[in-house]
Amino acid sequence: MNKRAQLFFLLLIILLIGSFICHLFAGQIRISLSDYWNSIFDFDVSNTNQLIAREFRLPRAIIAVIAGSGLSLAGMFMQTLFNNPLAGPYVLGINSGSSLFVAFSMMTGIGFLQSDLGIISSALLGALVFGFIILFFSFFTRNHVTLLLVGLMLGSFTGAIISVIQTMSSAQELKAFTIWTMGSLQHVQFDQLPLITFFFVLGCTLSLLLIKPMNALVLGGKSSQLLGINIRSVRISTILVTALLTGVVTAFCGPIAFVGLAVPNLTKTLFRTQNHFILLVGNFLIGGIFLLFSDIVIQLLEETIQLPINAFTSLVGAPFIIYVVLKRLK
Amino acid sequence: MIKFQEVQIGYKEKLITISDLELECGKMYALIGSNGSGKSTLLNTILGTLPILGGKLSINKLDSFSISKHDMAKTIAFVDSKFDGIEHLTVYDYVALGRTPYTNALGRLTEEDRLIINSSIEKLNLSQFTKRETFKLSDGERQLVSIARAICQTAPIILLDEPTAFLDYGNRKKLITILNKLAKEENKCILFSTHDIDICLEEDEINLLILNQTSKAIEIHPNSIEKSAIISIGFQLVDK
Repeated sequence: MNKRAQLFFLLLIILLIGSFICHLFAGQIRISLSDYWNSIFDFDVSNTNQLIAREFRLPRAIIAVIAGSGLSLAGMFMQTLFNNPLAGPYVLGINSGSSLFVAFSMMTGIGFLQSDLGIISSALLGALVFGFIILFFSFFTRNHVTLLLVGLMLGSFTGAIISVIQTMSSAQELKAFTIWTMGSLQHVQFDQLPLITFFFVLGCTLSLLLIKPMNALVLGGKSSQLLGINIRSVRISTILVTALLTGVVTAFCGPIAFVGLAVPNLTKTLFRTQNHFILLVGNFLIGGIFLLFSDIVIQLLEETIQLPINAFTSLVGAPFIIYVVLKRLK
Repeated sequence: MIKFQEVQIGYKEKLITISDLELECGKMYALIGSNGSGKSTLLNTILGTLPILGGKLSINKLDSFSISKHDMAKTIAFVDSKFDGIEHLTVYDYVALGRTPYTNALGRLTEEDRLIINSSIEKLNLSQFTKRETFKLSDGERQLVSIARAICQTAPIILLDEPTAFLDYGNRKKLITILNKLAKEENKCILFSTHDIDICLEEDEINLLILNQTSKAIEIHPNSIEKSAIISIGFQLVDK
C-alpha cells in the first residue's frame, strides 16, 4: 500500500468517527454522552432521553454507516464487473428488484412476509433475481449506455407492476409501502440492528474474496481468464455479494439512489488506484461518511424542510454523475 | 513443449490441419499467414479458449483439454496485440497481475512475488515507469509493459498475438530482439503471430511457421528462406 492511501485512510477514519459523533448530537433534542452510555449498558425505559438515544439516534447513525458503506461496495463491484463507471445497484435495477419483492411481501397480507426476516428475504431475493437478469443482459452488450438503458427499463417495468399491486392493496399496506419507498434511515429499530449487522458483516467478509478476481477483471474478461480466474464463478459470486449488500440496506432503508454510483467514482478519483483492497476500504469509509453527512444535513434542515434521504443523495449525487458522464464518456 | 499430432483447428469448421509439429523451449517461432488464415484461431486453440476439432494437442506433455484454466495460466502467458492501458492502473500493479495464478485467495503478494515482479520490470528496463499509469504510456511502452507482465507470470510458454502491429519500426525491432533474448536466456518457448516478414528475416534464429494457403497446413522454415518463397506459400498473390 502506498503512502497516499495510508494517509487518506487515516484522514477518512478520523472523518468517519467525527461524523458519527456529530450525527449522534445533530438532532433537535440534546442528548448527553452519559445518556448514550446508559441507553446501551443501563437502559431505563422511563428516561425519555435514553429512549430517544436507544430507539432513534443510535440505530439511525449505525444504519447510515451500514447503508452508505454497503451501497458503495455494491456499486464498486458492479462497476468493475461490468467495466462501466456508470454502473451501480440503483441504475442497474438491483434496487428495483428489491422494491418489487418488498412490495409483494408488504402488500400481500401474509404474516411472515411482513416480518423483518420476511422483508429482508424478499429484498435479498429481489436483488438477486434482478442481479442475474442484468448479468444475463450484459452478455449481449459491451456498450456502457445500453446496459444502463436496460437497467432503466427494468426500473420502469417494476414500477408498473408495483402500481398494479398498489391498486389491489389496503390503505394501511399502501401507506407502509409508500413510506418505505421514500427511503429513510429513521425506521430502523435497535432490536433490528443485530440482524442487519449480521448480513452486512457477511457481505463485507465475502467481499474480501472478490478483491483478487476484481483486480484481474480490470483487464477485461478474456485477459482475466488467461490469468487463471474462473470468470463464471466470479460473476455469480459478485452478483451474490452485491445483492446481499444492496438487499439488506434496501430492506430497511428503502431505495437510496446515487450513493452506489457516486461514491465508487469519488473513491477511485481520490485514491487513483485499481487495487481493489484499497478501493474496498476507501468505499467503505467514504460511503459511511457520505451518508452520515447527508443525514446530518437532513437533521439540521428538519425545522425548515423535511427531506427524504433519497432526495438528498440524488440532489448531491446527480450533478456529480453528470460530471463523471461528461468526463468519462465524451 | 507444444506438440501437435494431426490437430484440426477452426471455429466449428476445420480451418487448418497441423499434422506433426513440435514447438520447443528456448526457441522463438513467428506465425505468418494472410488475414483470416487462422493465426488467431491457432493461438486461441493453444490457449484452450477454443477446443480442437480433432487430433492430439499436448502442452508440457499434458493433453491440452485436461489442463485447468488455473494451471494453464501457469503454463502459458498471453500478450494481446494491443493493451490500451487502464486509468489509475500503475505499471507496477499491472505487472503484478502476472502473479495472479500464484497468489492466495486474498491475492496477497509474498516477498518472492515482489522479487519476481521487480526482476520482470528490470529485464525490460522499465524501472523508471513503475509508478506511471498504464493509461498514460505510449503504444511502444505499453507493449513492453505487457511483456513484462507475461514474464512475471513465469510461464514456460509465451504467446503473442501480432505484438508488433501498432509499433513503429524501431519499437518493432526492439520488441523482436527482446523476445529472442527471452527465448534464449530464459529458455522460454515463444510463439507470436505477425505480418512483419522483414523483421523476422533480419533477426537471428527465428523459426517461421507459415500457414500454407493452398494445403491449409503449417510449414516450418528457418529464416534463411527467401522472402519471395514465404509470399508464395503464405499469400496467394494471383491476379484476378
